[in-house]
Amino acid sequence: MPRHRLVRTGSFRLAVAYVGLFTLSALILGAVIFVAVRREAMRDIDERIREETYSLTQEFAEHGRDRLAAIVSARNAGSGAFAYGLTDPSGARIAGDLDPGEATGAPLAFGWGSFSEPDRDEPGKGARDTVRALATRLRDGSTLIVGDEWDSVDRAGREVLAAFAWALAVTLTLGVAGGLLLGAHALRRIDAISAAARAIVAGDWRHRLPLGGANDELADLARTFNGLFDRIEQLLLANKHAGEAIAHDLRKPLAGALRRLESLARARDDDRDTIVAAATADILGVLDTFNALLRISQIEAGARRAAFQPVSLASVARDVVEAFAPAAEDEHKAIACAFDGDFDIVGDRELLTQMLANCVDNALRHTPEGTHIFVEGRMRDERGVVSVTDDGPGVPAAEHKRIFERFHRLDATRATPGAGLGLSLVAAVAELHGMSVCALDNAPGLRIELTVPGTSS
Amino acid sequence: MKVLIVEDDAEAAAFLAEGLAESGHDSSVCATGPDGLTTALGRGFDVLVLDRMLPELDGLAIIKTLRSRGVTTPALFLTDLSGIDDRVEGLDAGGDDYLVKPFAFTELMARLNALARRPRTGGEATELVVVDLEMNLIRRTVKRGGALIGLQPREFQLLECLMRAEGRVLTRTMLLEQVWNFHFDPQTNIVETHMSRLRSKVDRGQAVQLIHTLRGAGYSLRAPA
Repeated sequence: MPRHRLVRTGSFRLAVAYVGLFTLSALILGAVIFVAVRREAMRDIDERIREETYSLTQEFAEHGRDRLAAIVSARNAGSGAFAYGLTDPSGARIAGDLDPGEATGAPLAFGWGSFSEPDRDEPGKGARDTVRALATRLRDGSTLIVGDEWDSVDRAGREVLAAFAWALAVTLTLGVAGGLLLGAHALRRIDAISAAARAIVAGDWRHRLPLGGANDELADLARTFNGLFDRIEQLLLANKHAGEAIAHDLRKPLAGALRRLESLARARDDDRDTIVAAATADILGVLDTFNALLRISQIEAGARRAAFQPVSLASVARDVVEAFAPAAEDEHKAIACAFDGDFDIVGDRELLTQMLANCVDNALRHTPEGTHIFVEGRMRDERGVVSVTDDGPGVPAAEHKRIFERFHRLDATRATPGAGLGLSLVAAVAELHGMSVCALDNAPGLRIELTVPGTSS
Repeated sequence: MKVLIVEDDAEAAAFLAEGLAESGHDSSVCATGPDGLTTALGRGFDVLVLDRMLPELDGLAIIKTLRSRGVTTPALFLTDLSGIDDRVEGLDAGGDDYLVKPFAFTELMARLNALARRPRTGGEATELVVVDLEMNLIRRTVKRGGALIGLQPREFQLLECLMRAEGRVLTRTMLLEQVWNFHFDPQTNIVETHMSRLRSKVDRGQAVQLIHTLRGAGYSLRAPA
């Protein structure tokens, strides 16, 4: 996996942004603590200096300046933490190292100031300590200076900074590593999905996106896309099936017409008319199939919706049943119609007529003598249900969904004429009118059921 | 019958003209819309055959112009599109009939005959009579040789169509359209079964058969020659 891709992943960028934000907040926190610690350390030093000054002024008050000078000299030379200075009223230094005149910045009169003095811990290296000092005017006019090294303040600050630096280093390392890990994980899954998608594009329509182990949003997305691919595969298969069916269904009559036209040259005059009539019938059959296909496509594309008008489905059904009744009677079948109300809808009368006519046609053609066909309209749960039922041999349950597909024909009906488009048109017209259509087992027989929304009975 | 064919497909136009000539009709051919419009305005034609799609001026525009100028010559549209909205559009524009290519020539002839002979508006007949068959359109009764025949409403309509077209051929699709308002061809033989019932009521036991079946063409009701 190339490094630049990993760095570009959303997970990595998110991790980096998060680490950056965390670092910034840690830095602010560090600064606050650093300042607080320093201030505390300074207060501590000041307190100690004040106490030392107080005890020395006590000495001065009780024993006088010489005694004080002796103590200062002794303590200054000792290994105590403090630095001292004592001057007489004229400003001349009597004891200690600190001289008000040597204060860094302005000469130290009274109050707080600071000195720079050679490092007492490591003499000879030229290093200098900063000393914070308090100058106090004694009662006889001489000045006492007590100082202490800044060292401890700086040390406390440094320790705080060091602690934070370590914490930050660990945070940054973990954050970046975590980001890379997350990014790599996401990339691995995205790569797997991309590879699967490429396989699908390359023509392997059965391939599906991997869901990955986790049931997360990426898996959800993959599932959604797999649903999409299922649908596309279905459509492709249906298309392929329809293409094959067209080729199969049209080849036969076209081959017939060709054979007949070829035989025309050798035919006796008496036979010619018959041959031409048969060839014409073959070709007309092919054209009928094409016209039916075009009509279904146009209906599916939503043509005619602009010309919708109020139509009573009950009256359409009655007209259709009346038209087919004599034909049914001749085939020794019975056909009847019953509607609860008018079933007024807004639609295209011509198409609705063809829809019901195709249902009845279908029922008549695929049933034996003695079959009863019934076209009825009933209200069910506030919705109109129009059904065309027969008590013939029916259709296997597995085929119930498929009989509305173009060119779908049951094996048992291969011999009967027809291209297998009648019920496809039924489905197309039903959909154009917002109806749902389904095939059910009428036990015995087939039941085509159309559910009509917004019917008034 | 004088027919004006406005068709830009030369081969199709020649085929139509030849067929019409064989049936003993005169025809003129125009290949463009404006040409067709000018020729049609000259009148003198019994029926127009208009292709829907024409260069420069299409069939719809021609018929609209003609109707707006008071030319009532019946017109039949031909179209390559089996557009299901086209028929309504063509009829709305002022066309009288509609045929989708390709079609059987017999179908076109039957329709042209029906259009050319259609009575122009005026005096609506109240009674149709063919030989001894009488139809009273007001009382909706039918008599053959003075004897009343009981017909179903649809059978009455079917007989009325045949009687109005006396002597001419009505094709199955024409009857489906006129009697049932079916603009499609069901697999089931609706026309045949109704016709056989009508025939048994009208012609059975009669010396003279009035309803004739023309194989591959259609039906006609006529007096014996």
